[in-house]
Amino acid sequence: MADKRTMTLNLTDQEMRLLDDLSARKDVSKTALLRQALRLYQMVETRLSRGEKLFFEDEEKKKAELMVV
Amino acid sequence: MKPNSDREWLKRQAALEDNCFVSVGGLVLAIEDLETQSQKLNAARQAFASLLNLTRREYKLTWEQFSEKLDVDLAELIGIDNDENYKPAPRTVTKIAQFIHVPAEKLFVLSGLARARDIHFQEAALRFAARSQPVKELTAEEHEALKEYVKFLCER
Amino acid sequence: MKTPIEIIDNKTGQPVEAELFDEVTVEHFIETQQEWRPMVLKAARQLAARGSHELIPQHFHWDWTVKAPELNVLANTFYGIRYENKLQGLMKIQIVGEFCRCRLPEQADRSLVYVDYVEVAPWNLKVLMVALGEKPLYSPIGSRLIEAAVLKSKEEDCKGRIGLHSLPITEQFYRHACRMTAVGRDSAKQNLLWLEYTPEQAENFLTGVSP
Repeated sequence: MADKRTMTLNLTDQEMRLLDDLSARKDVSKTALLRQALRLYQMVETRLSRGEKLFFEDEEKKKAELMVV
Repeated sequence: MKPNSDREWLKRQAALEDNCFVSVGGLVLAIEDLETQSQKLNAARQAFASLLNLTRREYKLTWEQFSEKLDVDLAELIGIDNDENYKPAPRTVTKIAQFIHVPAEKLFVLSGLARARDIHFQEAALRFAARSQPVKELTAEEHEALKEYVKFLCER
Repeated sequence: MKTPIEIIDNKTGQPVEAELFDEVTVEHFIETQQEWRPMVLKAARQLAARGSHELIPQHFHWDWTVKAPELNVLANTFYGIRYENKLQGLMKIQIVGEFCRCRLPEQADRSLVYVDYVEVAPWNLKVLMVALGEKPLYSPIGSRLIEAAVLKSKEEDCKGRIGLHSLPITEQFYRHACRMTAVGRDSAKQNLLWLEYTPEQAENFLTGVSP
């Protein structure tokens, strides 16, 4: 495994509750969840910068573009 | 990561895997994407040949001198320049990339050894190929085009 | 990461030391085009000539170099197995993404590692080598790659859970050789069969314990 470095992260109460909730739902540690979130962000950014678009599709196959900051 | 070192496990899995085909859905589902890529290949190959040729002329080298400087076979360079279907050896492409100071992965795509879906990359290759003309000395415009394209390859 | 692993040399029946690595580069992809693809195509033609259409590998036009831009995306991990200076198998997994969610009711929506692409070198596949009048060289490459996916899942705190869409021709491998649970056909992915591991099944696969 690659060497790891440590950082301190300040979260609001709301963000912390969200983190707890997602961590329980996904059955992963909070650290693992945040690392997943970072990787997901990079994946989305990489594809957007190549000119692709990100959509969600509902059950009726209607597409809505996701706005990404 | 600690893979299993148990030889009984190894033999058992080998026996279970015998006669099995190993693959996942991803391989087949992406094949439709590949068909649309071949049309974009020509522009990339033209850009690669132009990049090579303009670089050689920029340094005022004959093809033989260029092949010596790059430490690659002359036949490879002639193949790239003359035949748009020619597939150079990965070593040749790596040597060219090192000489021009651009990432080798970008030239693998231009040379046809690798494929890419990056729209900006494909459009830039087309524009560059269109701006290069086969005359003896680099015009000021060709010089500028070469400089800009090398900068683009290094930045992305 | 480079880890020694044993595989079996089918000529001698003896274990030999190969290497599992994750520093896959575009040069490895090019190697598959130059070394694997011509043999896969040749075997496909032989199978077609014999009328064994159901055995023709559906991925014979696949080109790994298309995946080159995904090499630097952290959501992905690529693994290769190398022996005798040749690539014996290649795999791409995803740590996060659209398919990284469990579908088995008892673990619905939990995180898993998705096996996105797997290919074993054609000279290691009995079906293809028999078509060419030869024997497969090394095994069990597929199992070693699935093992790597499970170990990565544990590293990423997904408890060994992995999931994948199988082609019809490969269902036997995942159901019987890997003992994964077949959950159902995915209408959003050409009705391919979705299979996944619970943490217990993953552990059983790693240790060779029968359920």
